[in-house]
Amino acid sequence: MFTRRNLLAGASALGGAALLPSLAHAKGSVIAATYPGSWEEAYRTVVAPAVKKSHDIDLELQPLYAVDQIAKVRAARGAPPFDAFVLDPGPRITGIEGGLFEKFDGRKITNASKLPAGMIDEWGICVGAQVVGIGYNPKKLPPPKDWKDLLVDPWVSRLGITGFQTTFGTVSLIEIAKAFGGSETNVEPALVELKKALPKIAAVGNPAAMAGLLQQGQCDITYTNIQTVAILKSRGVDIEFVKPASGAVAFFTTMHIAKGSQDAENAYKYFDTVVSKAVGDVLCKPPHNFIPVNKEVVLPASLPMRNLDEMATYVRHDWSKINPLRAGWIEKFNKEMAK
Amino acid sequence: MRWRPAEWQLALPLGLAFASLFAAPLLLLVGVSFFNDERITQPGFGQWIKFFGDPFHYKVIADTLLLGAKAVFATVVIGYPLALVFIDLPSRLQRVLLFVIVMPLLLSVVVRTFAWIVVLGREGVVNQLLIGLGVISEPLRLLQTELGLVISLTQIEMPLMLLPLISVMSRLDPNLRDASASLGASRWRTLFTVIVPLSMPGLIAGCLLVFASATTAFISQTVIGGVRLIYLPLLIWQQSLVVFNWPFAAVASLSLLISVLSVIAALSFLGRRSSGNLHG
Repeated sequence: MFTRRNLLAGASALGGAALLPSLAHAKGSVIAATYPGSWEEAYRTVVAPAVKKSHDIDLELQPLYAVDQIAKVRAARGAPPFDAFVLDPGPRITGIEGGLFEKFDGRKITNASKLPAGMIDEWGICVGAQVVGIGYNPKKLPPPKDWKDLLVDPWVSRLGITGFQTTFGTVSLIEIAKAFGGSETNVEPALVELKKALPKIAAVGNPAAMAGLLQQGQCDITYTNIQTVAILKSRGVDIEFVKPASGAVAFFTTMHIAKGSQDAENAYKYFDTVVSKAVGDVLCKPPHNFIPVNKEVVLPASLPMRNLDEMATYVRHDWSKINPLRAGWIEKFNKEMAK
Repeated sequence: MRWRPAEWQLALPLGLAFASLFAAPLLLLVGVSFFNDERITQPGFGQWIKFFGDPFHYKVIADTLLLGAKAVFATVVIGYPLALVFIDLPSRLQRVLLFVIVMPLLLSVVVRTFAWIVVLGREGVVNQLLIGLGVISEPLRLLQTELGLVISLTQIEMPLMLLPLISVMSRLDPNLRDASASLGASRWRTLFTVIVPLSMPGLIAGCLLVFASATTAFISQTVIGGVRLIYLPLLIWQQSLVVFNWPFAAVASLSLLISVLSVIAALSFLGRRSSGNLHG
């Protein structure tokens, strides 16, 4: 029977074991989903070599957004196309509710004692924090102060927005809604204000296209996460990150073992490497700017956070309340923004 | 005596492949659309009622079909003269031109689409050129507009129009044009009474391919057009991969399939009629 692993093994053999001696002698492999863009780049250049060095495991990365990971594993029905998920809070809850994860055994993480309490639960392990704020071109615009500034000139006519299909898009629109009297569960004020500002807004884009639109000057300001800003900056794009006065949004990113995974043991070793001090030390520095969870990692000045304790001072959201409303918000966004 | 397969048995492998890879998933899609809930447990017409009960979705269907029609129009207007030029070129130049026509097909649609961001962007090639020439003082808004989308789709889909058109027009007997001219017809009259009717099967085939491809071009529609221009592929993607409402996504998918197939069936009918007029 042709399984994913047989095919991979066959492909490796065809590639020529003699040409790839290290692959031929590896103790195994693990297939992990990762976010496209800054995450994929960081994990390919930093994490994959570290997993190989520490555990002699080949890490194969599949760039997929969180929602795509959930959709693929749901569609696969018990034969997941990858072993490890990387998810934001919303899709994590969807995954738990859908029974897509193996039960997680935290005792297999040797670095567990170096993580703050609560970073490991029965479903997975927290591997980092993400901070969402405003990215803008300092050569074309003055720095905005708060979410409300996005919808007035000079920023609004250079603004690029995305909808509720990503975590950073959803939390940013919630924060805009809050600035106009809305709440975590009421985004109507944001949609009303966006509708008013729509003739001036420079771009209403697909999240995957936003980096390109910023690079091409189609828009000069948008809500985004710090990793995206860091990666664009490292490529010479004029962009700076601003924490809004009412608070930047922060959320944890977690990793999980896909139900039915054939390489769960290797997935644990992969997770252990991700949360190790050695990997955290590299990932937290430019151009990656990840916020690691390992307490022994000293966070550099380039990050907006000094340590994870600061998470308490950031805006956090309850995704168990957001998830049931999100489909309606997406529909509403489509209708309000459609030409 | 050795067993020899009957003619119909030779078609069995293809028939089985068609049944398992096309017909079965399509039936599954139809089946999934008749569930009311996202978990696919309660059978019913709920999602069909929800989809067709909302006028917004009629607009999305109309916009999707209109986009296909605009792409077809643009590719015909540019592609047909190009095909006319092609058939008169020496064979060496034809080979060069054919390579140029086919080349875009060898590139990933993602690469071609992102290249159009660079071309159509506010600081892109077109705007820089027009500002440099003094034609405009402020950059034109080309990205995130239907005009920009149609321009990019015209280039992206052009090979699908040109290849069938050239294939049919290359087989036209050059003596027909001479005969038409010797009977006193002008070049324009020869074009409209001889060449266009004879090239109709290629033209119709090109229109079918471009229409089907443009209406389903999810990447180009979302990357070049942005999210304000809502077409059915974006709606299907959102419902299946973001909202996970597969029954609703199935209804939207079937609506796309049926509406595109209806137009294609009409075009095919026209194609058959035109070839019937010629040969019947």
